[in-house]
Amino acid sequence: MKIPPVEPGTVGPCPVAPDALQGIKRQQTNPARWNGAGWQDFVAELRASGVELAEGAAACGVYATDAGGTAYGQPHGVVLARSAGQVSLLLKAAQAHRVPVTVRGGGLTTEGESVAFGGVLLDMSGMSRVLGVDAAALTVRTEAGIYWHALAEELRRENLDYLSAPLNLTSSVGGTLGVGGIDVNSARLGCSADQAISLQVVTPTGEIVECSDSENAELFQRVIFGYGQFGVITEATLRVRPYTPLAMHYYYYSSLRTAIEDLQMLDRNDASDYSGILTIMDCAVNLLVAFDSDEREAAFRKNWESRLRGHGEFGFALCMAGHYALRPWKLGEALYLLQRKQAVFPEFRRPEYMRDGKMHDRTVVFSRAVWKHWGSRQMVIPDLATSADKFIEAVERGNAICRQYFTHYTLYCVGIKLRPEHKPHYEMSCVPPDAEGWAYGCEFEPMIEGGIYSRDHFQAFKNAIYDVGLDLGASYYRFGGMMKGYIRRVFGDALVDRHLAMKRRADPALILNRDVIF
Amino acid sequence: MRSVDVVIVGASLAAAAAAKRTVDAGLETIVIERKELPRHKICSGILSPRGHRFLLENFGPLPRETLHEPTSCRGVTFHFPSMVSMPMDFFHGTTPHLHRKYSDHWAIQRSGAEVHDKTSFAGLEDKGDHVLVHARQNGEPVEYRARQVIGADGPSSLVVRAVYPDYTKQIPWFFVGQKFHEIIDCPLSPEYFHFWFHPGLGHYTWSHARDGRQIVGVGFKRGDNFAKKHAVVQQYLQDKHGVHLQPAGDDDEGCAENFGPSLINRYVFGKGNVLVTGQAAGFLNMIGEGMSCALHSGAISGEAIVEARLRNRPVQEMYRRMIASEVRRCSDQWNPLKIAFDRPHEADFPAALMELSWRDRAKVLRDMWRFVVLFKEFKWGRQIASAALQRPLLGGYSMQRWL
Repeated sequence: MKIPPVEPGTVGPCPVAPDALQGIKRQQTNPARWNGAGWQDFVAELRASGVELAEGAAACGVYATDAGGTAYGQPHGVVLARSAGQVSLLLKAAQAHRVPVTVRGGGLTTEGESVAFGGVLLDMSGMSRVLGVDAAALTVRTEAGIYWHALAEELRRENLDYLSAPLNLTSSVGGTLGVGGIDVNSARLGCSADQAISLQVVTPTGEIVECSDSENAELFQRVIFGYGQFGVITEATLRVRPYTPLAMHYYYYSSLRTAIEDLQMLDRNDASDYSGILTIMDCAVNLLVAFDSDEREAAFRKNWESRLRGHGEFGFALCMAGHYALRPWKLGEALYLLQRKQAVFPEFRRPEYMRDGKMHDRTVVFSRAVWKHWGSRQMVIPDLATSADKFIEAVERGNAICRQYFTHYTLYCVGIKLRPEHKPHYEMSCVPPDAEGWAYGCEFEPMIEGGIYSRDHFQAFKNAIYDVGLDLGASYYRFGGMMKGYIRRVFGDALVDRHLAMKRRADPALILNRDVIF
Repeated sequence: MRSVDVVIVGASLAAAAAAKRTVDAGLETIVIERKELPRHKICSGILSPRGHRFLLENFGPLPRETLHEPTSCRGVTFHFPSMVSMPMDFFHGTTPHLHRKYSDHWAIQRSGAEVHDKTSFAGLEDKGDHVLVHARQNGEPVEYRARQVIGADGPSSLVVRAVYPDYTKQIPWFFVGQKFHEIIDCPLSPEYFHFWFHPGLGHYTWSHARDGRQIVGVGFKRGDNFAKKHAVVQQYLQDKHGVHLQPAGDDDEGCAENFGPSLINRYVFGKGNVLVTGQAAGFLNMIGEGMSCALHSGAISGEAIVEARLRNRPVQEMYRRMIASEVRRCSDQWNPLKIAFDRPHEADFPAALMELSWRDRAKVLRDMWRFVVLFKEFKWGRQIASAALQRPLLGGYSMQRWL
């Protein structure tokens, strides 16, 4: 049978009927394995130019899946990144032989974006050195394959800290700059990608280019939040700040809506340095507020604390005791809450990280807690990113979907301060087009707790969450990979086709991360 | 002897879905198929929207060659002896009318698996750490050594017989057959799949348009006479619905069906390193649509093999825990409590019922009950009630009943 080829990035014809699968684009979102045409010639050229490439099951099997654990793929070969020059040679050869290249940082994607369905997998973790710290100018130059926690460790020696990074020890700098990155201080400092001052990028055709808002600005705009479509980030200069320990405060709510309203109130008034919501259940919501300085903390206590409607730990425990005393049939739920409280709360107060009542090394504390008490073998975290005014509805609808699919789950909500001068960066990204001032993101994470579910079960859950985004005209913090079908639906064909045209100009053979967005 | 990771028996949609998962994960996979590909397969070809989305997302847009004319189906129309008709559109729009000969071949090709057609499965031996698969290729015996075997060879599965020789005697068997007629006059809408809840016509009676002809299909307990049953239905359509058809062509076809396991939660998922999936496992949605659950269960069988290797767990354990979601989806469609209080199907039966007058609603419910009584001889009532109650109490269906 002759199967008509579908040009990558394009939406194929549908002979079924125009109204079949209403609204769903005719895109294969779970990619076909690349057929390996010309692989041997490519390998020969690569080896002749001195680029080391590992082949075979042992080398490739390590990269079979990503943190999401629902997409599986095997590259034909793996290159461990060593230098921009080596990456350049790789991309030039790949472009000439039309071999797909998938770039992987920490592998923390959840929809298979860093899984190679054939071709070469470029593992950036080989480029993980800090190249220079300028304590006076408060900047750092680093190779992009470094993990944020390793960068934090280096910066601590200079009594410095990064501005914001994902609460995850093994996410890489390059990967984060390519997608956005959020932290509990994003409502004040913006998303992680906004802290990049300049980048060294290897373009899909192999040129090594330095870019920033003033130099090669168009490339800079496309690479930041670019989901790896317009180049491989090999080095980055980032803003940093003096290191400070955190004074943490926790407020507890039984209503998601009230907690979100209070979170947004704090963000609007710049009342805290860190803020975020983490739920145990939708009736046990924790609003986390933290400060870098005693002055900011004192101002908060004086002006804003009394306006929060949440309880302290003891007060909330009393409320919950009353709640469950009247509902004895919910004993299981009460026991779960108690067990989670006993397991999770001490993690945030571990004595080795607390001094004078303040938390040190928040990266480690949060990341450790996240992996230990929320993470599992599979990170199934669909999310929604909306403007401030749509956020409550998005969270409430997403919460209702979580209830349908899983017994226990957690929600993680933060605000993201937007920088008006970065608007060009934000086009077709996790920042919703209608957001002004702040965008808000919510991750919906089921507690898998050793359970084994089919991929279809997870996918149905994720699709239900993503459909809410479509309905509300939102965006997604993570988009791409297997959920790329939603990109055209949420942003519209015109915008996606414009970016596809830019992609074709930058990457004529469409080799770089080609299964991620288009 | 060829040594591979996975051997899949059958070149069906379930096989393609399973192969897609194992090939993607880098497992060397061979599909063996008795016939030469592309091969003919009896089927209504009406795929549910959920199955269509699976095909699209995993294999890409369907080529025109994989579709019959009309290329799509808008929904299902139920007809009752009281002459009430209930058209119901599928959620999310029309759905494909697959030409199984080409759609299955296309999907298998797109899966990336190596295909050995004209290779008949002849038996297997599970050796604990591998399985020996015996087959015949062009009349010559061939052997494969595989870490796991997936049986995706349809209702009369030879793999199931190899693993559970007595299974076929434990379930009732039906025959479904269809004849193709040139049309003189047919008032039945060609946009819909038509189904009759009529105990006098048989256990499964349907009709729809295909490639300029009208299909008249009948299903009944094995042992009855196809020609007689078909003649009764054709006469009924003419008398009651004004359907005038030419005598059937000589390309009529039929096959045995294992209708029932999904109704009473009596699936067969294999043993040891042998997994059974698709309709071979007993998956069949209501109104006989088996393709969407075959695709999803097939994919899950492939995922289970991948996961079992990564977690170093027994493959049966992984498969049975992962397949629970598909069992819920499929058995929910037959669950009277789900039908009454939820929307387990891909078309809205309760809404269509509410559009009828009170009098017609009463007629429909009476006719449906009379139709259900037709199945009384199989003594499924207690098992259906038990499965229906398990659903709210356990959140699913008991794994204890699965083979």
